[in-house]
Amino acid sequence: MSSPTDLPKDAESRLAELGHGFFTSDLSVNEFLLVKETGFHPLGFVMGSSIYHTGIQGRRWSKSQELSKLTEAMYNARELAMTRMEEEADELGADGIVGVRLDVNYYEWGSDAAEFIALGTAVKAEDGKSYRNKHGKPFTSDLSGQDFWTIMQTGYVPQGLVMGTCVYHIAHRGLGQTLGSVGQNIELPNFTQALYEARELAMTRMQDEGNALGATGIVGVRLEEKSHQWGSHTIEFLSIGTAVTKTTGDVTLPRPTVIISLDN
Amino acid sequence: MSADTPLPIDVRTEMRSAAAWLADGGSAPSGRAVTSDLTIDEALLLHSIGWEPVELVFGVSVTSVPVGVWTWGRGEISTASDAHNLAVHTAAERLGRECAKAGGHGVVGVQVSVEVTPHHVDVHLVGTAVRPVDGKKPGQTFVSDLSARDFVLLSNAGWSPLGLSFGASFIYAPRRDAATAIRQSSQNIELTNLTEALYSARESAMERMQASGLAMAAQGVVGVRITEGPMRFARHVIGFTVWGTAVRLVADNHVYLKPDMVLPLDDAVVQFEAQSLRGR
Repeated sequence: MSSPTDLPKDAESRLAELGHGFFTSDLSVNEFLLVKETGFHPLGFVMGSSIYHTGIQGRRWSKSQELSKLTEAMYNARELAMTRMEEEADELGADGIVGVRLDVNYYEWGSDAAEFIALGTAVKAEDGKSYRNKHGKPFTSDLSGQDFWTIMQTGYVPQGLVMGTCVYHIAHRGLGQTLGSVGQNIELPNFTQALYEARELAMTRMQDEGNALGATGIVGVRLEEKSHQWGSHTIEFLSIGTAVTKTTGDVTLPRPTVIISLDN
Repeated sequence: MSADTPLPIDVRTEMRSAAAWLADGGSAPSGRAVTSDLTIDEALLLHSIGWEPVELVFGVSVTSVPVGVWTWGRGEISTASDAHNLAVHTAAERLGRECAKAGGHGVVGVQVSVEVTPHHVDVHLVGTAVRPVDGKKPGQTFVSDLSARDFVLLSNAGWSPLGLSFGASFIYAPRRDAATAIRQSSQNIELTNLTEALYSARESAMERMQASGLAMAAQGVVGVRITEGPMRFARHVIGFTVWGTAVRLVADNHVYLKPDMVLPLDDAVVQFEAQSLRGR
């Protein structure tokens, strides 16, 4: 599935149709108009997905540790979905993909199988300039059409959607510890430490991806904590954001008009 | 709104006459009352581009699916895909017909509800028929799930909605054999059978949506939405439906709207959730 040559039969005719100026897009009308306003034109609604089976990893009841096999699975599956989406955009000759959403869906195919899906709208600059990132690939960005317009006003250009993930098992407390803290106001250092470490790992990995793209910053970072289907003490920490670089010199932004609406 | 009639509508006068019309009880020139599910704001916005609501219109279709198609088979379940296609088209056509009968020239804010059950596909479309105040016909009747607000914005940018573009496909995903399933049970591995089935369902559905858009001579489809995943009643069938509003540039060029930046000074509304007290 990884190269366009083995895309299904319909995909070729579909992408060919999109090559002739017809576009599809999951942008709302607001976003569509703002993307046009920025000087880009939507090319097509692109998507990549992978249905992935995550392996099993043993975890010790009383030990806080990263579950590297599960981390790897979460990385690998998202990477597959993202790469496929980028390939479709590449096929369309896009400069980038805006409004990227990454989702994980669980269906009834079995407890360990999940669908990883990446969706977005491929866009191309109308002035003919290339906005591809330093790897020559279309940029990806989870910024909405509104955010895309705003960030382009400031002279920053998105480079890529960057993420870091860490699946972490947080140790249970021993009986002695539990009894010792009954009735007291007390910090639970093992939980605190484990959460800290897992977050740090996820954030560091995201920053590494940003550095690899030569980004000057990462905007719109979200940190999500999900237990998926692993029970309460195993948590995935996912940090995700858009890496941006400054391309122009100083930009004087118009002062926003201050308003107060008379609604409610 | 067509290319040769860039009428310089005076927004203020239109708004004033619209407000007067609403204050008057909103009676239609023909003497019939107007029903619409538009808010006052939306009705005013419509008037700002010289359109008015006419009537709330419906389009419904229930198409049967032959018994047993979901259980066994290989590849695409074309009878189900066809049934879906037929139901959507019939419903949209009825909606358009009802709109024309009410004297409208298009339907905006269509709520799309599609339900696929083992034996039939139900499609319900409800929207508000609209027409230009001056009674001019702006080309063919359109059906669109864009809100009145979106319709106004698009019109201002020189675009016009044409119709609903739909596509659906249902594919039977091959099962893994028992030995493979056991071997893979402890591995990190992609389930290629399901991924491929999802891909082909998606490609067929997207291709159909594009084909229906092209048939309307559209230049694009905006606001595309999808539903995907295994069917509730048949786990090994992957369904993919996709729809959006087909649009076309009717002005000579795209009209840039040049938005201003504003900063509302309203406080964000913080909603208190009792659950937050319980650490959730």
